[in-house]
Amino acid sequence: MIIKDAVCPFCGCLCDDIEVTVDDGKIVAVDNACTLGNHKFLGDHRLPGPIRRDGDTWKDIRYDEAVEYAVDMLLEADRPLLYGWSGTHGEAQCVGVHMAELLRGVIDNTSSVCHGPSILAIQEVGHPGCTLGQVKNRADLLIYWGCNPIDAHPRHLSRYTRYADGFFLENAFRDRKVIVVDVRKTETTNLADEFVQIQPGADYAVLSALRAIARGKGDALPRTVGGVPREQLVRIVDLCKKAKFGAVYFGLGLTMTRGKYKNIRNAIELVDELSRHTKFTISAMRGHYNVYGSNEVNTWMTGYPFGIDFSRGIAFYNPGETTAVDILARKECDACLIVASDPGAHFPRACIKHLADIPVVQIDPYANATTAFCDVQIPVAVTGIDAEGTAYRMDGVPIRTRKVLSTGYPSDEEILGRIYARIQEVRQP
Amino acid sequence: MKFLMNTGRTVNQGASVENKRSAAYNDETGTCFMHLFDMMELGVDDRENVRVTSPFGEVVLMVVSDEHLKPGTIFVPYGPYANHIIDGETHSTGMPDFKSTEVTIEPTDEARKSVYDLMADLGGLPYDH
Ligand code: SF4
Repeated sequence: MIIKDAVCPFCGCLCDDIEVTVDDGKIVAVDNACTLGNHKFLGDHRLPGPIRRDGDTWKDIRYDEAVEYAVDMLLEADRPLLYGWSGTHGEAQCVGVHMAELLRGVIDNTSSVCHGPSILAIQEVGHPGCTLGQVKNRADLLIYWGCNPIDAHPRHLSRYTRYADGFFLENAFRDRKVIVVDVRKTETTNLADEFVQIQPGADYAVLSALRAIARGKGDALPRTVGGVPREQLVRIVDLCKKAKFGAVYFGLGLTMTRGKYKNIRNAIELVDELSRHTKFTISAMRGHYNVYGSNEVNTWMTGYPFGIDFSRGIAFYNPGETTAVDILARKECDACLIVASDPGAHFPRACIKHLADIPVVQIDPYANATTAFCDVQIPVAVTGIDAEGTAYRMDGVPIRTRKVLSTGYPSDEEILGRIYARIQEVRQP
Repeated sequence: MKFLMNTGRTVNQGASVENKRSAAYNDETGTCFMHLFDMMELGVDDRENVRVTSPFGEVVLMVVSDEHLKPGTIFVPYGPYANHIIDGETHSTGMPDFKSTEVTIEPTDEARKSVYDLMADLGGLPYDH
């Protein structure tokens, strides 16, 4: 059986043109997806059933027992942390928020360690963004800043920018200019018309220099800024001003370096400046396929996009205090529920050390680095493969992922729903 | 020698990220990419091991030359190895300094640990079935 227009549940491009061939209950071929998408669809290594740590060994347990363990752990905790959420569907994320509120816990998603700083900047100065369709059909100038789409979002260039046809561009490949700004050469910088190599940590200075030039104050600049010659900066501002429609995409190269959210704020203000001359937009290259969705779900339910603390009985938000890395590094939480993410591999060591000291339940289809720190892991269906649900593309467009296969694994929503129902029985009898 | 450590995604890291037991994931995230000139100065060849030390810990990585890097900087794909030596401090933003940790590097004969060994060192119990 061939399923057309399946949705790839890997990166924020959320490609919805994937063709999946299913034979005898297994995916045997995948068309249109990139290497990352292919691996996701064709991957096996699923955890067969729930497991529980018993001293120095792992024991297979039933789903009922695993759910019971999670319920008891969460009810007994004074300050539970509910973390992850970017690799699951919106319906499951909703249950998570309800659960955090009832438990008076903290709920945070992986954006606190990816584009959380971008959201902080947007909260300060707004977001002049647009959909990927606008960029595909109109943009004649692209700037990729601190990101490497060839490696992290492989089809971004072919579906929306460098290699995509555009309705309002006669010869899109020839008419589109691509500028890449990075501290190192990558596969992406190789296909840029203009590569700007900056010194590590110099993003803020280079953005400020571009703003100064755009304002006509370029003469005040030194000969090089952040390792970039002034002439190149002037050339770039020229290209930007001449463009009919410019689009900036930025990645973790801006959010994780020195300056963090202030870098993004500066980039947004540059776009603001350029928009006085022509049309310019800016957007984040969101990583996980539904990390944008977890920000959306949290925001419409609590008013805040991530790092929400319900210990006061109301939603409280203070990144740096109520975010997962800080709570773990301060050894503050006394239980952790991890859903659809792998902090064991992606958090600094001090955080993981605390995970080893407290009860942890993970809901995830695969055994991963976090499994080592779990008391119980509950495997679930993979959204977009054997479960369906809503996800938000990197430009905020919601797309319903499809179920291409039945495996018998419960979905995240089902498992979380069962845990939540039991917690309700105790807390809201 | 002192270096500035940068971390980031690579296509190999992404393709193997769902299978952290695999040799591919262990090799990719356990690699430190470095400019050839720096390697010559350190006296190490491709695929030899180096000890990378930050104020927050140390870890043994495999070194691979990469002429695209600026001398004085190294690149380590996202994963447990890099995180072993990154601080949990976020300067009130929620975001650690994933891209700007200062490290010292020296050659070593010590073997590189697996992802699972790193987890076991921190008190975890790797699941290996
Ligand atoms: S670009 Fe992203 S969404 Fe599209 S196929 Fe590749 S991994 Fe999947």
